[in-house]
Amino acid sequence: MVLGIVSLNALLAQQSFRIDEAERRIDTLETERLDLVHEQASLSAPGRIAAWARRNGMRLPDDIRSLHAFGDARSAPAGADPSWGEPGG
Amino acid sequence: MRRPPIRRLVALLAVMAMAFAAIFVRLTVLQVSQAASFRDRALDQRLRTVELPATRGQILDRNGDPLAISLEARDVYADPRYVEDPWATAAALAPVLEVETGDLERLLSRDTTFVYLARQVDRHLADRIGALGLPGIGFLDASRRYYPAGALAAQVLGFVGIDGEGLSGLEVRYEDVLAGQAGERTQEIDPKGQPIVGGVDVERPPIPGSAVRTTIDREFQYNAEQALAEAVAQNRARGGTVIVMDPRNGDILAMASYPSFDPNQFEAAKQGTYRNRAVTDAFEPGSTNKVITAAAAVDRGAIGLRQELAVPWQMDVEEFTIHDAHPHGLQRMTIGDIIAESSNIGTVMVARRVGESAMASYLARFGLGRPTGVGFPGESAGILPPLYEWTDTSLATIAYGQGIAATPLQMAAVYATIANGGRWVQPRLVLGTRSPSGTFRPAPDPLTRRAVSAATARVVTRMLADAVAEGTGTNATIAGYQIAGKTGTARIPLPDRPGYYEGQYVASFIGFLPASDPQVVIAAILDRPVTDYGGIAAAPLFQRIARYAITRLSIEPGRPLRPPPTAGPRP
Repeated sequence: MVLGIVSLNALLAQQSFRIDEAERRIDTLETERLDLVHEQASLSAPGRIAAWARRNGMRLPDDIRSLHAFGDARSAPAGADPSWGEPGG
Repeated sequence: MRRPPIRRLVALLAVMAMAFAAIFVRLTVLQVSQAASFRDRALDQRLRTVELPATRGQILDRNGDPLAISLEARDVYADPRYVEDPWATAAALAPVLEVETGDLERLLSRDTTFVYLARQVDRHLADRIGALGLPGIGFLDASRRYYPAGALAAQVLGFVGIDGEGLSGLEVRYEDVLAGQAGERTQEIDPKGQPIVGGVDVERPPIPGSAVRTTIDREFQYNAEQALAEAVAQNRARGGTVIVMDPRNGDILAMASYPSFDPNQFEAAKQGTYRNRAVTDAFEPGSTNKVITAAAAVDRGAIGLRQELAVPWQMDVEEFTIHDAHPHGLQRMTIGDIIAESSNIGTVMVARRVGESAMASYLARFGLGRPTGVGFPGESAGILPPLYEWTDTSLATIAYGQGIAATPLQMAAVYATIANGGRWVQPRLVLGTRSPSGTFRPAPDPLTRRAVSAATARVVTRMLADAVAEGTGTNATIAGYQIAGKTGTARIPLPDRPGYYEGQYVASFIGFLPASDPQVVIAAILDRPVTDYGGIAAAPLFQRIARYAITRLSIEPGRPLRPPPTAGPRP
């Protein structure tokens, strides 16, 4: 009986150490996660990216060019009857 | 005669018996009747309960990118009773905490059991201090608010205090959502403060705060802030405000005020820079308010689109003389010409056809005189005097935007109403909240109400498009796109008495694009630029932001709208 109690106690202590270890690991991983969130947030900040782009000679375009397609906007879709859109007779 | 020894022995025995009885009674009291109380007191001395702070929820932009996050930190404290050598301890800590040794020594010598040495220090710094192994020095878990993009959207986000509670902006408005619920851990400790293995160890875990997802587009916000800062510098203005809004759902994509501040170091910010002027500060809108006069006139049929008015360059209203920005002869103008040329006199003539009562009604329908309900602390209602307080000059001045006050957001919402086919949509800054488990809870749909008919909105849009193409707003044009908008050059009232500053103006341009299918409303406002006029100071700022909007939101040019009838060639 004494042996049983001692064994049970030892097992409980062992489990307790395992739980402690698991909790420590959770804490470490949570800390790592927060560090990564911090790093991601800082690296993706628009000001940082804009400054980096400026340092590397990039700049926004001066003007917007819009291209207009001329002619009949209605055109036969691929695979349509070739007579589609032809003047009727 | 001596007493017999037996009697003395009996007396001694009696005394001893009484003494033992007293001890027995006392022991019984202590061990039986008061046992529980003393056991609890003993346990209390061994138990230590520490608060486990909840992680504050993030504030995100509309795409889920972080605008405000919380970092792990530590509060460093001392229990001076256990500090063996205050001076040596202070000397060891001072270089790490970057404070004066003398200041620390004074804290460590206090007659108390707890004193903070530093708040919210970086975790790695706390580890360095812990490695020193100084007796009497301890750490508490804490978190530090961090704004990764610095000053970006600072006035919108606000900031939190040293104890982690929101003090300004969305941080305070959504405190109950962001804060979460603190937990606690109770441990049994030995006299040296170390946990007793196998002793009491009970933890109630904290519940993290929910994330708040805003309508702000981080990249758009950055671009708007940059454009605003440059416009303020170029026009040597005192400050400015920019709002970018989706007229269809009221989403505010960017809201910037200049000057700004870095919420990571809010203590160092200049007074007044905290304020989100787009929401909290009202200004006399000037000519941008003419859009309401025009909408009211069209909606009520007070004037035909082709009807021409003979507009002088100045007019007497009671004892005052009001005039247009530039002298001109008697000029025949349609309502389209009046808006395009931003004629004060023409606008007054139109407003008189609308009438006081109807004008007051339309101002209210467009949301002036009451907060928009955007959900931001300290929102101003602006100033719209009730009809019974209108004087003989009120109708005239209000028609062209003086004698009333509105926030930039209220004015952006006015133009959004026209852009949205005559339906006013409540602006909003928050899309919803996301719980720690990841469940997204959308914010309620914004309120909407009809202000003017869709047909009226279409006609007014044509007038605004003409004002940009041919009128005072030509500096806002973008090749290939039809923009609808209106300039404003408003006088600034004196703060302490009736009257206005001489030669000082608020320059504004508010508009939307593309005119045929509006997808974005932009309000650009500069405070006292040396260039004075809205068309010169604010229109280029609008144009720059509109260019970015076209690429950012992939806005297509849309189809051109027919200009409104004109009385003839304009000067």
